[in-house]
Order: sequence, then C-alpha cells, then structure tokens
Amino acid sequence: MTAGEVIERIKKNLGVAWRDSTYRDTFKFGGPDTTVTGIATTVFCSFEVLKQASAAGCNMIIPHEDTYWSDRDDVSIVGGDPLYTAKVDFMRKNNMVVFRIHDHMHAQRPDFTYVGSARDVGLDSKYETAPNSHRFVVPETTLGALAAEVRKRTGARAVRVVGNPDARVSRIQLGVGYATPPVHNPDIDVVISGEQQETDTTLDSPEYVLDAIALGINKGWIMLGHAVSEEAGMLEMAQWIHGFVPEVPVQLVKAGEPFWAPR
Amino acid sequence: MADLSRREFAALAAAAAAAPFVPTSNVSGAPAVTAGEVIERIKKNIGVDWKVDSVDTLKAGDVSTVAKGIVTTSMATMAVLQQAVKAGANIVLTAQPTFYARADVPSPPAGRGEANQAPAPDRVFTAKNEFITRNRLVVFRLSDHWRQRRPDPLAQGLAAALRWSKYQSADDSQRLDIPAISLDALVSNVRNALRSRGGIRVIGDPRTTVTRIGLLPGTTPIQAALKMLPNVDAIVAGEVREWETVEYVRDKVFAGEKKGLILVGRVVSEEPGMAICADWLKTFVPEVPVRHISAGDPYWRPA
Repeated sequence: MTAGEVIERIKKNLGVAWRDSTYRDTFKFGGPDTTVTGIATTVFCSFEVLKQASAAGCNMIIPHEDTYWSDRDDVSIVGGDPLYTAKVDFMRKNNMVVFRIHDHMHAQRPDFTYVGSARDVGLDSKYETAPNSHRFVVPETTLGALAAEVRKRTGARAVRVVGNPDARVSRIQLGVGYATPPVHNPDIDVVISGEQQETDTTLDSPEYVLDAIALGINKGWIMLGHAVSEEAGMLEMAQWIHGFVPEVPVQLVKAGEPFWAPR
Repeated sequence: MADLSRREFAALAAAAAAAPFVPTSNVSGAPAVTAGEVIERIKKNIGVDWKVDSVDTLKAGDVSTVAKGIVTTSMATMAVLQQAVKAGANIVLTAQPTFYARADVPSPPAGRGEANQAPAPDRVFTAKNEFITRNRLVVFRLSDHWRQRRPDPLAQGLAAALRWSKYQSADDSQRLDIPAISLDALVSNVRNALRSRGGIRVIGDPRTTVTRIGLLPGTTPIQAALKMLPNVDAIVAGEVREWETVEYVRDKVFAGEKKGLILVGRVVSEEPGMAICADWLKTFVPEVPVRHISAGDPYWRPA
C-alpha cells in the first residue's frame, strides 16, 4: 500500500469530484511512492503529532490543517527556521508522508468536521432541523448552562463566550474552523464555532453580540478554538478511510487544544 | 503608587472608567470647536502621512457638530456610547469598527443574508443608529494611523497598563526586560492588570521563567512573531491566527524551547493605547474634556 494508492482511494470514495486547483489538499512532505505502514488523521500536523504517530507505527499523516504554520504551507516564510528544519528532518528520518485533506473534507457530505463537532459538544442529531443544516433546536436552556456543558464535554480549557449567561436560548447554529455562521440571523440564539478574527472581518464580530445584549436581544457566541472545533471530525475521517483502506491501521492522533487559561 | 511613573499613573487614571468628567479648561468660556476641527487637528498632529485609503474615517454623525466632550475607546459598543453620553461627551474615537465589520457601514452590508437580495433591516443596527442620532454623536475611527505612530502608542499603552513602562527598551517600545517571573505568575498579573474576564489564552509551560517580553498588540501575522520570538521569552499579543502563530509556538515549546505566548484579545490589547490617545488629544484639544472609556473584555469563560 503506497501513499498514492491511499489518495486514489480517497478520491474514488469521496462522492464529489476532485478539484486539482486546490493548494491545500496536496502532499506537504513525501510523495505517492512511500510505502504506508499506518495512517494517522489529526487536525494540525504538529511536531508532537508527528512523533506520536511515528511511535504508533503510522508513517502517513492526514491533517485537516497546515503543517508549516501558514495556510498555503508557504515554506519561504519559515524555510530558514531551525524548527522547520527539525520537523522536516524528523519526517525524512522516519520515512513519513503528509497529505492534507481540507477543501474536499468540507465539500464532502456529510462534512465530517460538523458531524464530529456536533458529537463532541453534545448536539444530538435528533435536534438538527434538517440534514446538513448544522442548525439545532434544543430544549430551552441558558447560555451559561449550555457553555458549561460544551466546556465539560469537549474538555477544552480555553473556551470563550460572548453574551449574557442568563439568556434563555434554544436555537443553535454550529460552525467549524474559521467558518463562523452569522450570529445576526434572527432565527439563531447562539453560534458555536471555532475561530474568528475579533474585528475587521466581513462577518459579525463579538461586538454585535455585546450590542444585542445591551439592547435586550438574546444572542450568544461560544468559541471553541480552531483545533477543538475541527479535531473531533478527524475521528470520523479515520473511520471512513479505514473502510476502504483495510490493509493498514488507521487512527486519530489528537493534536489537542493548544491553549491553557488562567484559573 | 510611589513607584508609578507619571505616564503610568495617567494611563491608570484614564482607565478608571467610572470617574466623572473633570473639565480641563473653562468650557463655558472656551471657543467652540467642531468635530471636523478635532479630526483636522488629529490629522495634523498624528505624525504620519494621512492616507485616504484607510479605515480611519467618519462612521456616524455630522462633522459640523460642536464638541462637548471627547471619549476614546478600543471599541464603540452600545455600552461605551451610553457611558459617553452620560458623561456629557458627544465625540467618540474608536480603534475598532462601530458597525461589526470592516465595512463599518450603518446598515447591514451587501452580501449579508440571501444572495442577490438587499440585506434585511437589523434590529441591532437600527437601535445603535437611533441612539447615535438621538444623542447627536459623532463617531470617528482611529486605528491605521494610530498604530503607525512611533513610538508605538499601543505598545506604550500596554506597557503602562502592565506597569512596565520603566522596563521598556529605549530603542524598541515593543521590547521589555522585566524581573524574572514564571509564565504562570505573569499570566495572572496580565489578567489582573488588563481586567481580563475570560479572554486570555496561553501557550507554554507555566513554569517557564520569563524576563524578556515582546508586545504585539492588535492582530498580527506570523511574520511578526517569527521576528520577535527568538529575542524574547514570551510574547503578550492581542490576537494571531491559530493556524499560524499558535501552532508555531506550540511546536516550538514541544521542541524544548522555553517560550510563552499570551493572547489577551485584540480589543483588550488595544484599550490601553486608546487611554494614551486621550492624553494625547488633551494636548491639542484644550477646549473640551477628553477621557477614555474601556469597552472591557468581550469574553467570559464557562464554569
């Protein structure tokens, strides 16, 4: 089993056409000829993930996000950096291969990032208003109770919330990664999402929620962080790949939440 | 208090949002100054070339409005506008947008909602506009040009708020050498000094000893951290992209380097710089009171 064969099977089973124009979903280290001993999926191809995967016998990494600290994995930014050299040396010495799956993961139905995050934060599919809508109407609760439940279930240390903890909420829109749904939507009480720049985007900012609650309008925003938001779905990705690559072990190796927060 | 420099004390005093206005001149006897004149004086005194292609424009109100008082803030939220009105001010200078996005326009921007349809009216936009109109407020954004001043007023403000002005490098206001402290204790100090509620997130071993600090207020790309990190033990930043600087520092720490990254949030990181801005305005707008009102930390952490 070569890395190239694994990628061909992914393309064949994807259910949507492969777009060669993607700069994201490409080899980031190694190439198609490398013999695969095992596959590790993860959200970020961190140095720690590389070492853990290698120790677990997995020399092929399929991360959702970047390897060299920029979306385009632009090596010209970090080419002379000793950390870049150390990471690449480790991969070379251990005969590793990295192939990112991002754009096609989001194009796939279902999009496993949403499936995984809903499972992780405790949004039962029976509450989803329509398949792949990522909109959930749950029994009424408060923003504070919902956020506490999300924090407990995910185990995340640095979850951040905007809004009034006492606000009664039931209509939730789930976003993932850097794709944050519009919190201004009148049919939505709460957005649960990954990462978004705090101001100066084309989207709503936390300021919108602050102003809404100053005006007595119930709004809330629970921010999980990018890694926490999209890591859970890499389990579904691993299970899916294992379904058509039975020859080698396939497992999730968690990058985990990068942050801690003061007590 | 004796160990505080004058600048630090001024910044702290300005940050005390509840304090009432103390007029810096005889308001009734002073000649009237309009919002437009205040903006012209800002452009004249800012010390960098004023660019038209900038977010630093009038966001609401009429430039012919006679100034009663000026408020600076990191973000002109409803709460800040309400406090400004209560304090008798009618001009607000904000570092962040007023209307929730970079477009910063007083009605929901195109592209919002269904494709090919005009954006629907929005209760929050409507109410904020009504409040601004009713109170004849003038809101002007001061961000691009403010951060280009040297020394960097955002770094100056952050250092003052952290009571570190005396540790700032003479030739680089973003660099400080502080007495040795653990990353853990440093984070607690930063949280207390900046009145952070739940917005602080940290990478690095809490036991790491820190003496060399770098400040990156605002939103910064990985290039800024790559340049700064080799020369410091920890960076105190506003916000960075998680797939860039966060993952880089995570890998750096895993590789055994003793580094820390403290993210306090963009709004919180720029607030002390806007306190400095109030002090600066006072030097060339003596006619009306000028004060800073904090927008506060937008975030809290769940139980």
